[in-house]
Amino acid sequence: MDLGFYLLQLLTGLAYASTLFLLAVGLSLIFGAMGIVNFAHGSFYMLGAYLLYAFSRGQAEGFWTGLILVLAAALVIGALVERLFIRPIYRRPEEYQILLTYALLLILEDLVRFLFGAGYRSLPTPPAFSSPLFLLGTPFPSYYLFLVGLAGLSALLLWAFLYRTRLGAWVRAATQDREMLEALGINVPLLYTGVFAMGIALAALGGAALLPLQAATPGMAVDAVIQAFIVVVIGGLGSVWGALLGAVLIGLLQAFGILFLPEMAMVFPFALMALVLLLRPWGLLGRPPAVRT
Amino acid sequence: MRKGWIWFLALALGLAWAQGQQPIKIGALFILSGNFAGYGKSGSQGAQLAVEEINARGGILGRPLQLIVVDDQGNPEVGVREARRLILQEKVNFLFGVDSSSVSLAVAPLTDEYKIPLVVTHAATPALTEQCRPYVFRTSNNARMDAWAAAALAATLPVKRWANIGPDYEFGRVSWQDFITRLKQLRPDVEVVSEQWPRFGSTDYASFITALMRARPEGVFSTLWAGDMVIFARQAKAFGFFNQVRYFVNPVGAALEVLAPLGKETPEGLLVSTRYWFLYPNTERNRSFVEAYRKRYNEYPSYNAQEAYAGIHMLALAIQKARSTQAEAVRRAFEADGGLVYEAPEGRKRMRPEDHQVFEGLVWGYTKHSPNYPFAILDRMRITPATDTVYPTQCKR
Repeated sequence: MDLGFYLLQLLTGLAYASTLFLLAVGLSLIFGAMGIVNFAHGSFYMLGAYLLYAFSRGQAEGFWTGLILVLAAALVIGALVERLFIRPIYRRPEEYQILLTYALLLILEDLVRFLFGAGYRSLPTPPAFSSPLFLLGTPFPSYYLFLVGLAGLSALLLWAFLYRTRLGAWVRAATQDREMLEALGINVPLLYTGVFAMGIALAALGGAALLPLQAATPGMAVDAVIQAFIVVVIGGLGSVWGALLGAVLIGLLQAFGILFLPEMAMVFPFALMALVLLLRPWGLLGRPPAVRT
Repeated sequence: MRKGWIWFLALALGLAWAQGQQPIKIGALFILSGNFAGYGKSGSQGAQLAVEEINARGGILGRPLQLIVVDDQGNPEVGVREARRLILQEKVNFLFGVDSSSVSLAVAPLTDEYKIPLVVTHAATPALTEQCRPYVFRTSNNARMDAWAAAALAATLPVKRWANIGPDYEFGRVSWQDFITRLKQLRPDVEVVSEQWPRFGSTDYASFITALMRARPEGVFSTLWAGDMVIFARQAKAFGFFNQVRYFVNPVGAALEVLAPLGKETPEGLLVSTRYWFLYPNTERNRSFVEAYRKRYNEYPSYNAQEAYAGIHMLALAIQKARSTQAEAVRRAFEADGGLVYEAPEGRKRMRPEDHQVFEGLVWGYTKHSPNYPFAILDRMRITPATDTVYPTQCKR
C-alpha cells in the first residue's frame, strides 16, 4: 500500500517535472546558444495552448493533428520572430533584449485576449487516454504517463541532435565562440534562426500538451515565464541538462515535500532556488562566468 | 443686436442646464488583464447595465451616472495608483468594484484621505469591513459568511473526516480557519485529516490530489477559485478523486467563470455555492434581469456581474436618499433606518449599519448536468438564510 503510494507520488512529481522541462528547456537553449534572455518565452508556451485549442476546435478528437499543426506553426512563428525582431538587436546592449521580449509578451497577451476572450479555454482528455491505468490498485491517469514520455522523448531527441549531429555540434560551438564559427564559414545567423525556432517550438509543444490537463488564459504567460526562470536558475541558465535537472528537482520536491510539510508547499521551489543562488550562483549544471583578466 | 441678446440668453440657460446635467462619476476598479480578466469583465458588464438602466429613467438627482472602468491588474500598487488618478484627474464621486482583497485593503485608506466613498462588490476578505472605515461599503457577501454557510451545511452531512485544499494566501487560509472553527462548534466530533496548500495560480495539482486521497477524507472543503478550480477539477476527476471523496464543498465553486469553461467535464454531485446563481430565485425580478443581461451581452450573468449590478443600484438608492453625492450624506443614507435595503435580482440585501457589510441569503446546490445548458447547473438547492451568516462585528456607529 505505502510503496504503491510513493510510486504514485514519484510519477506525479515526474509528470510535473515533464511540464516544467518542456517549458524551460527552450529558454535555456536560446540563452545558451544565442545569449538572448527571452522574456516572451512563456508567451509562446501560451500560444501553443491556444493554437491547439484553435486547431482542434475544442474537440478532443482533434488532439493529434492539432499537436502536429502546433509544432509546425510554432517553428514558422519562431523563425519569423527571430528574423523580424530579434536579429536587429544582437549587437545591442542587453536592455534592448529585455525591453523587446517584454513588449512581445504584452502584445501576445492582448492578442490572445482579442482572439479568444478573457475566459479559460481547455480541451477534454484525448480519447486514447480517457480511461485511467491501475497502478498497484490505484487509478492513475494515463495522460500523465504520456507527458512523461513526451518530455523524455524530447530530451532524448535534443541530446541526439546536440551530440550526434554536425548541426548540433555547431549549435554547441556557437555557445563557445561565435566569431570562430563564422570564420569557419558557417552561416551563424541562419543557425540562430533555427535554434530560436526550435526553442519556441518546444515551449509551444509544452503548452499544447498541457491543454488537456490545464486551462489556457491570457495571463498564463507571465506565470509560465517565472516558473521557467526558477527552473533554469536552479539548473543553470544556458544548460539543457540543467533545465532537466531543475525540473526534476522541483517536481520531486513538491511531490514528496507536501507529504512531510504540507503547510510549506509554496516555499520549496523558492527555497531551493535561494539555496542554489547562495552556493552555486551559476546553477547546478551551469558554467561559472570566466574570470576576465 | 437684439439677436445677440437671444443668443446670450440661450447660452446662459444652456450652461445652467449643463450644470444640472453634470454626470455623477463612478470610478470602477476591476481586473481586466491576466488570469482573472473574466471576473473583471463580467463585473464591469453588470455595473454598466445598471448604469444604463438608471440613465434611461433619467439618472439620479436629475444627473446621469457615468461609469469609468480601469484595470487594477489585481495588483495593490496599481490599484492605489489608478484609484488616486480616478479621484484627482477624473474627479470621480465614488470608487467602485474591486475584485482582489489585497487591492481593496490597499485602496480603502484613500476613502478617508479624499472623502470619496468606496462600494466594494467582489473582494471578500472580512478584514475590509472589520476596519470600520466610515466610507467603505460592501454590497456583496464576504468570505466569512460563505465559510459559515458552508459550515452550517457541512454540519448536516454524514461526514466526520474533513480535509482542505485551498490557495495559499489570505483568502484560502482565513476561509478554512473560519469554516473548521465554526464546524467544530456545530459538530465537535469532526476531525481534520489533511490540509493542502498549493500556490495560488498553480497549474499542477496531481501530487496534492494523491496526497489528499491517501488521507481518505469523507469530505473536502476547498476555496480554489477561478482557473485554479477549473484545472483542479479536471485533474482530480482523472484521478477518480470525486468517486472516493463523498462530499466536495466549495463556496465559490459555482461561479459561471468556473462552470462555463469546465462545460460537460464538471463532475456531478459537488456541493458548491456562488454569491449569485442566475436560476435562483425563480422570481419575475430575477428572470427579467437575466433576460436583460443576456440581451445586452449574449451570456448568462455570473455572480460578479449581478453583484456589480446590484452594487450600482444600491449606491444610486443611497445617493437618491441622501439627495447628495457628499461622502458624509451618502454614509448616513446607507446607515439610516437600520441599514439600506435593496431588492436585488438575487433577493433582499440589507446593509448592517455598524460595519457596512451587506447580509443576504446564500444559495448552495449539487452540480448536475442538464440538456438545456452547456455547463453544469445547481440541483437540490440549499438556501442558507441571511440570519445563519450573521457574525458579530467589532464596529460601532
